[in-house]
Amino acid sequence: MRTFLRDNGLAVFFGLLFLLALGGQAVAGFHAFNDDQVADGAAPASFTGYLTSSDFGTDVAENWQSEYLQFALYILATVHLLQRGSPESKPIGNQGTESDEDQQVGVHADDDSPASARARGRRLWWYSNSLGLTMGLIFLGSWAAQAVAGRATYNAAQLRSYQDPVGLGEYLVSPDFWNRTLQNWQSEFLAILSMAVLSIYLRQRGSPESKPVGAAHSATGLEG
Amino acid sequence: MIGRWGRLPVLVAFTTGAVACSSAAQPAVEAVAGRFAAAVARHDGAAACALLTDDARRDTETFGRSCAAQLAGLPDPGGLQQVEVWSDAAQVRLAGDTVFLLRFPDGWRVSAARCTAEADAPYRCEVQG
Repeated sequence: MRTFLRDNGLAVFFGLLFLLALGGQAVAGFHAFNDDQVADGAAPASFTGYLTSSDFGTDVAENWQSEYLQFALYILATVHLLQRGSPESKPIGNQGTESDEDQQVGVHADDDSPASARARGRRLWWYSNSLGLTMGLIFLGSWAAQAVAGRATYNAAQLRSYQDPVGLGEYLVSPDFWNRTLQNWQSEFLAILSMAVLSIYLRQRGSPESKPVGAAHSATGLEG
Repeated sequence: MIGRWGRLPVLVAFTTGAVACSSAAQPAVEAVAGRFAAAVARHDGAAACALLTDDARRDTETFGRSCAAQLAGLPDPGGLQQVEVWSDAAQVRLAGDTVFLLRFPDGWRVSAARCTAEADAPYRCEVQG
């Protein structure tokens, strides 16, 4: 157990934080939802009813889609785009998908490389792009979930305020959908920008997200 | 911990639930809207008032008015034409009226009736909570 926790500390820590935050969001969102219900003259929901509602689903999905978009774009952008001085960037001159030797694929794979790294053709292509593709697929799935659940939430609110519901096409171009989407995107992009730039000049000793404390500001692609 | 693939079924459940819940509630909404329309058509104000939300009923009884008398004087709203149900709210278009309903623990109730569409604004309803 101690070895497991030592070797998987990052996943365990953030997994627990995720569960706690999701639980806290559920409780806070439940009370906020019922405050609105009472104000609209509607019946308060049970906690279970709220957890299975489109309101909760929308609030979860709109955050998940932006996180996975952030990671998908970050993973893909850092293949080709550089930032001098940032540990978030590859070294200057290293842009692109790099050589097979550098990437340890094909004949350059060693004994403990994943089996797919020794493959060729389509199998190697899929594995070589599996991280970006997975993040991108989860983003698209989460965004679709936000659209469907968001429309249900929006239409319920429309009916409670004696207005007509809207179709999915109309919802996808509505201010409600794009306000939810863009308010999340702007924060994700700002976070990456902050990390890419601040890490040029600031340090966090011991973190692989930082350059070594004594590294030059101009040093690019170093990890602490 | 929920793995990266574990999140997908959760989101599918939310979105499926959002759609399925509305379809399952439609018969109950139609039943209540139909009973309300029938009560108004036969000028049975008391029966129609019993199907209103508490807020809507209270609104019809302001200034000493009687809910039953108010609703008994309404014109025949006609038959059901279109039903929209989203979560705990519904809209039913009748041949001569549009009504809105809300779901409570004891069933659906009419929250607004005699509603007229207003361009880019909420419906204007003669009976509402």
